[in-house]
Amino acid sequence: MPEIFIDGQRYEFEGEHRVLQFIQDLGKEVPFFCYHPAMSAPANCRQCFVKAGQYVKDRETGEYELDEEGNRTIRWFPKLQTSCNLQMVDGMVIHTQETDEQVARAQKDTLEFLLINHPLDCPICDQAGECPLQIQTYKYGPEGSRFEVKKVHRPKRVRLGPRVILDAERCINCTRCVRFTDEISKSHQLTIVQRGDNNFPITAPGREFDDPYSLNTVDICPVGALTAADFRFKARVWEMNQTPSIDMTNGKGTNIDLWTRDNIVLRITPRYNKEVNDHWMPDEARTAYTLFNENRISRPLQKLDGEQVLSSWNNAYATLMEQLEEVKPAEVLLVGSPHASVEENYALAKFANLNGYRKPVFLRNEEKGKADGFLLTDDLAPNTNGCILLGFDELTPAEFSAEAEKAGLIILVHDDFISREVLTAGQLDGKYTVIFASNHTKTTKAADLVIPVTTAAEHAASYVNVEGRIQRTFRAKETKYNKRRLDMEMSEGRLDRYGTNFDNWVNEDNKIDCLPLWTFISNLTGYMGTEITLEDGRLIMSEIASTIDAFNGVSYAKMDENSGIQLDTEKVSKKVES
Amino acid sequence: MKYEFSEEDLKEIDAIKAKYPEVMPATLPVLWLAQNKFGHVNPEVQRLVASTLGLPEAHVHGVVTFYTQYYEEEKGTYVLDVCTCLTCQLCGGYEMLEYFEEKLGIKQGETTPDGRFTLKEVECLGACGYAPMMQVSNETYVNNLTKEKVDKLLDDLRQDKKPEHEKVGMPQRKNI
Repeated sequence: MPEIFIDGQRYEFEGEHRVLQFIQDLGKEVPFFCYHPAMSAPANCRQCFVKAGQYVKDRETGEYELDEEGNRTIRWFPKLQTSCNLQMVDGMVIHTQETDEQVARAQKDTLEFLLINHPLDCPICDQAGECPLQIQTYKYGPEGSRFEVKKVHRPKRVRLGPRVILDAERCINCTRCVRFTDEISKSHQLTIVQRGDNNFPITAPGREFDDPYSLNTVDICPVGALTAADFRFKARVWEMNQTPSIDMTNGKGTNIDLWTRDNIVLRITPRYNKEVNDHWMPDEARTAYTLFNENRISRPLQKLDGEQVLSSWNNAYATLMEQLEEVKPAEVLLVGSPHASVEENYALAKFANLNGYRKPVFLRNEEKGKADGFLLTDDLAPNTNGCILLGFDELTPAEFSAEAEKAGLIILVHDDFISREVLTAGQLDGKYTVIFASNHTKTTKAADLVIPVTTAAEHAASYVNVEGRIQRTFRAKETKYNKRRLDMEMSEGRLDRYGTNFDNWVNEDNKIDCLPLWTFISNLTGYMGTEITLEDGRLIMSEIASTIDAFNGVSYAKMDENSGIQLDTEKVSKKVES
Repeated sequence: MKYEFSEEDLKEIDAIKAKYPEVMPATLPVLWLAQNKFGHVNPEVQRLVASTLGLPEAHVHGVVTFYTQYYEEEKGTYVLDVCTCLTCQLCGGYEMLEYFEEKLGIKQGETTPDGRFTLKEVECLGACGYAPMMQVSNETYVNNLTKEKVDKLLDDLRQDKKPEHEKVGMPQRKNI
């Protein structure tokens, strides 16, 4: 097997590899800025220098040539090589900055050059704290600069497009953003203009950087040159805490991270998953952070004399029980939702089963022509396949409208049928309408009883994407009823750990008064005298896995280990077609 | 003004494209063609070039801004590039530039009101042996500038008489 010697260690490899990626895969480090594993490697930052060579072999005998001390002699390549685009070959010898003084010196000097025109504004720069340039300057950079002349000034606060702002002075011209628009999103909207120390990336004159994936350039920018218009100056990165989650805005199931501070989601960034979204996510999914913070329903709402008023949980349980007793079981219409998780839908189905109601039905939420073959899908809901696999009947809007007319009591989850023009507010008159929802919508306004439920940011639950991959979320925000410090699964930021209710940066109002749907159902059944226990997502999922074929073998542990599990696609696609 | 390529231009562009295995390398010659035709390659012309070649507008814009010889905005009929890089600077480049400014009544980077001349201060044009020197409209060099030469040049150009290529011999060693 081909072998390579890195810092005196022998490694075997198969197939084609680039030195930098190989070193990273080993868990070791070589500093770099312009390289990105998903894009071409133009080697223009010159930061990933290593010393490369080959052991000298005697051609006739095939023996390695030895020096006086008995070590194999190395024939070095004439100059230092950029490891990002250096193809590995059998018998290659690599010295990184860890073992070679010359490499360390070269990297330090490259950094000194990169920093010549870079402003020293880390204290007010959004990138500080997650900035490769800052981190690597601390690790590998020079102690100071020998450059004492005025720095070159370039445009600042340039609005590249509706979502991205450029500070050209901070740019080190790694061209990652340009390559992103050329190679990944293929919109070709950015280019590097001018030359020499005036270089910076920008769009063609009069054109906007309105690429639907434009904010990915902000993620991959190794400095603070590109910042997101709606996140800049909002928070220092070390004050936030980062929780893995799944995108809720479409059916792709893009893996994301929710960044929270004091229980407010401030931004959403993509999380690498080779099987789903690679390193990327659409801009649309990022702006969805407001759904977790704004317009939330906190405390149950109840209609009294035609007007919705805040109620209490006890009142909500009692009222719902009363109303359920007033109608025949056959008149109860439960509507599951592709916007709710598998666990929530399952809780609904179990509730229906227990009381002899009809199995929940559901409607898909689609916008034809939205799909772009990349990360946007026609499906606007994260869990359509989950509903299908749970065996829910899929209704067309017309069928559903007819069913709703017949029903005496309707229980909805999330879906805003009135805005989607599936139902009219008039159709709900005269029947008792209950909705489990997280945000105020036209439909919640029309409902008789509104039960506030947790969003994906507040519960751990799983969603099945359009390809039949089941993935799960983690709790990122506290509600009134859980505590970050007691919940061992919640991550804790610096402010979360040290903030108390008496600090002015902690706001109790950011915690929403809501419950997971399954907790409400399980409490309700308790009051009704037919108690079912649905404690938390993890346990519900193991129950689902043992009772429903399609979810056989699924567990949170397994999902976490493999970043999601591909369910039987045969079953999924067949059902989607029918 | 609407910028368009004529049938002949398009034929020429096809001929240029045929020289290269891909379209991208044709960017430079087609930009030249456009600049020669329109006198400049402003954003609208850049768009025309991009759409004619089927290349991203951003790419064409990047190329234009990289080379100072492409004019990103409308210029005078004659563009006077006066070198003030080190050698010319030492031999009186700034004096020549200031003389131009005085004679034309404009500052470097500006165009005369009649639209005939644009004056530019440029970096080294690679003719240090004949300093101070200048270039007229990306073409002919005028070497060893003196005030008299400048006067003559401006008079000639006013009558659309372009300077001729000037052969300047280097001093050679006599007895080898």
